[in-house]
Amino acid sequence: MTWISSITRGLFEPERNTSPGELWFFKFFELFVVCYTIYYVWKWGWYTQLRNVEVVLPLGLANYLDVSLFFDHYLALINAAIITLLITLCFLRKGPKWLYMVVLVLFHLQHVIRFSQGEIPHSQHLIGMSVFCFAIGAWFFPSLKQMPRFVMGAIIFFIGLGYTSAFFSKLIGTGINWYDGRHLWLWISEKSIDILSREGVYSPNFLQQLALNSTSIASVILLIGWFTELIGFTMWWHKLRPYTTTLLIGMHFGITLTMNIRFDAFVIQLILVGFPWYLLIDNLVKSAPPWLQKII
Amino acid sequence: MAESFRGMKIIGIILIIYAALVATHEGEFWPFSIYPMFSQAGNPWTRAMVLDVTDLPDEIIWQEHQLDQKIAPPVPLRSIGVDQIDYSNFISKTDEWTPTRLDALRQMLGPGNIQERSWMAAKVHGTLVGEDSVMVTIQPFLLITADSVYTNPNLPSAHYQKKVR
Repeated sequence: MTWISSITRGLFEPERNTSPGELWFFKFFELFVVCYTIYYVWKWGWYTQLRNVEVVLPLGLANYLDVSLFFDHYLALINAAIITLLITLCFLRKGPKWLYMVVLVLFHLQHVIRFSQGEIPHSQHLIGMSVFCFAIGAWFFPSLKQMPRFVMGAIIFFIGLGYTSAFFSKLIGTGINWYDGRHLWLWISEKSIDILSREGVYSPNFLQQLALNSTSIASVILLIGWFTELIGFTMWWHKLRPYTTTLLIGMHFGITLTMNIRFDAFVIQLILVGFPWYLLIDNLVKSAPPWLQKII
Repeated sequence: MAESFRGMKIIGIILIIYAALVATHEGEFWPFSIYPMFSQAGNPWTRAMVLDVTDLPDEIIWQEHQLDQKIAPPVPLRSIGVDQIDYSNFISKTDEWTPTRLDALRQMLGPGNIQERSWMAAKVHGTLVGEDSVMVTIQPFLLITADSVYTNPNLPSAHYQKKVR
């Protein structure tokens, strides 16, 4: 078996038959993505309407389109309303196969409108990648068996790739000494200013105190996180996936504790895609009703 | 299995598009990214805070000082509905402080929130010092009232015309 064949089997599990549990889980996962998309587009829309005044850093399509046009006249909120309507139609499988792609473009637009202020956050990337994979799946793999397999397999592929890519970004950006504990001190102090500025008060937690008191402990914390990123790609194989996912979730909790950065959507999504929940659901339900099959 | 290989082919095509977009857009074309967060370790950093200097004498408010000798309380940005990260980037990434940009900062903080008070937009610089410590310095940058914005008279004008760390 070649490596590409191994990855293909690991991601799409072609020998496994479709089960009711898989279909129920897939639709639940899609509902999760749809809900988060709607939450984000309205949150970004309101913030844009209330706070955005000037473009500080153009991202994506904003390099070619003056997104400050969307800062007034409720245009960001109108975009949010259109996305909400279209993604609801997509969820119900109404409309053309390419409708999800339209949602993705408008979602991208909403992101670059909101985040034209200088910061490039990454906590919404997994939801964005999921919408992207749904768009490709709905267009090229619309059948009952293919759609869940392609969408979930593609999402897992890009999650694994993202973590391993993050490892190499650090290796290229800094070098092999990236895990030097004093680097963590700098980040802890940097994030402490963000917390102080946001809340008016800040005091380090237990893990931060441990790291700040010892370069060795700080280095070990960074080294564990960096190694976990490196093995992110092992998610591509379904037998390894639950173990890799557990490590990645642990890494995110570590980042939250040391740097006060929360990854709610990221972690929930990891929990959903990283474990074979369909097996549990198959023990509870024995069939997928026709209405469910219709909207997959 | 044929459909699975077709899936891999499509992922391969997406990867090419992904690589082309991030390569031509400095690593970011949402939702595509090379995930560069924390990739450049050990560099000095700059963030920003708002300090309430209403009750301080004029001769003190513009003085640079260390974090542990902070001269005024920070204004909690969450309480006025401003995203701290946006604010911080607005201060640290603006190269040219044009009248429009100064007014955009005042609007971001909200004249209704400032009212009769004087708020100092301060840059905060952090850097490794020696082998075992981080030095955090607060640099008063812009004084903001409900209707005006003033630059720091102690800083050369170059600080407001091009990016200075």
